Amino acid sequence: MIAKFIESIGDKTLGTLSSFYEALKFTFICLAHMVTPSSYNPAMRMVLTKQIYFTAVTIIPLFVMMAFIFGSVIIGVVIALATQYNLQDKIGSIIITFVIDEFSPFFTALLISLRSGTAINTEIAVMNVNKELNTLRQYKIDLIDYLFLPRIISGIISITSLSIIFALIMLSSGYVFTLLYMNMDLHTYKTILINAIEVKDLIILLLKSLAFGFATMLIPIYSGLKAGAAYTAIPISVLNGMVKLFIAIFLIEVLSLLIQSL
Amino acid sequence: MEIGQYIDTLEDYSLISKDTPLISNLNMLENIALIKEVHELLSIEKAENIAKESLEKIGLSHIGLNRLNQCSSLEVFYVMFIRALMSRDMNVIITTPFFLISNLRDIQPILDNIEILNTHKNIFIFDNITNKSHYEGSSCPIVK
Repeated sequence: MIAKFIESIGDKTLGTLSSFYEALKFTFICLAHMVTPSSYNPAMRMVLTKQIYFTAVTIIPLFVMMAFIFGSVIIGVVIALATQYNLQDKIGSIIITFVIDEFSPFFTALLISLRSGTAINTEIAVMNVNKELNTLRQYKIDLIDYLFLPRIISGIISITSLSIIFALIMLSSGYVFTLLYMNMDLHTYKTILINAIEVKDLIILLLKSLAFGFATMLIPIYSGLKAGAAYTAIPISVLNGMVKLFIAIFLIEVLSLLIQSL
Repeated sequence: MEIGQYIDTLEDYSLISKDTPLISNLNMLENIALIKEVHELLSIEKAENIAKESLEKIGLSHIGLNRLNQCSSLEVFYVMFIRALMSRDMNVIITTPFFLISNLRDIQPILDNIEILNTHKNIFIFDNITNKSHYEGSSCPIVK
């Protein structure tokens, strides 16, 4: 009884370690392809263009609207709290840290995960079940170059650019609240923000967006690739992929907070 | 020996079978052009022009922009064949065409179109012995 229990723990540990090693290997292979110029053939570039369009461009109207709503509400709450606790002189740095360092990349990653992460996970799983991946292998078309790399790069480009747009819109919409709540003019608001922003904030935004973009596409792809041979395996693959993706997003967020606190 | 096992022993071939379907998120032209774009680094425009010319040869230019679900099994078969011709492999293997094309009764029109499309490659059709009668009287030699 006890021996079986210990055996099952050992089995699970070995299984987890083995799948972690597989995932890590896949990540390094993708990174190696990313820096290899021959990966960028015409077909790959076409897929990349389409992916950027579907991931970053078609979402813009919804994204702008959400950034505006969240911007005015959240910055409003931040300003109200800062005023309540007599932190008016810190308002600039509070807004910049909250919007640029934390909220914009995190929210963008969540939104893209929900929209594109699920789509890519399903797409790869369906292609796997339909044996379309087998076709590509048969015709000696590199799956990483043709299928995965364009999606990963589009994720990185999309999340980085959308995070920047989100931050800009959020900061602009925050002005609406400061105007109504504090009767602050645009020049003062601008000066507060410009004085508060540092190069460090921009580097954090960039690095976090890159990490989020990479994880947001890589994990669903890997999960889709691991789907079984039956159609019933597709929802399971999406479910597993999304859970892993959300854990990864939170881990990146926690890691970035830890690094910033050093 | 099973067809699958026999094919596994061969090298340098493009396969047309139920295990190598067309890519569902590409249209017919893109499916054909993909091979040249990847292996010969042709631009999308040039590769799709070659694909269009091939489809025109057998009167299927109208399906160029169709997706998989908009085409009949016969049209899908021809697109798979043209795609196989686009690769650099000198041999093309077609497995069980009577399984790939629904309601196919006569193989001869298919062989005629294969002749129109192919200029230099070796084409092999692998089928089960139970379908032997379908090939009797056709223009291709039968080897058991």
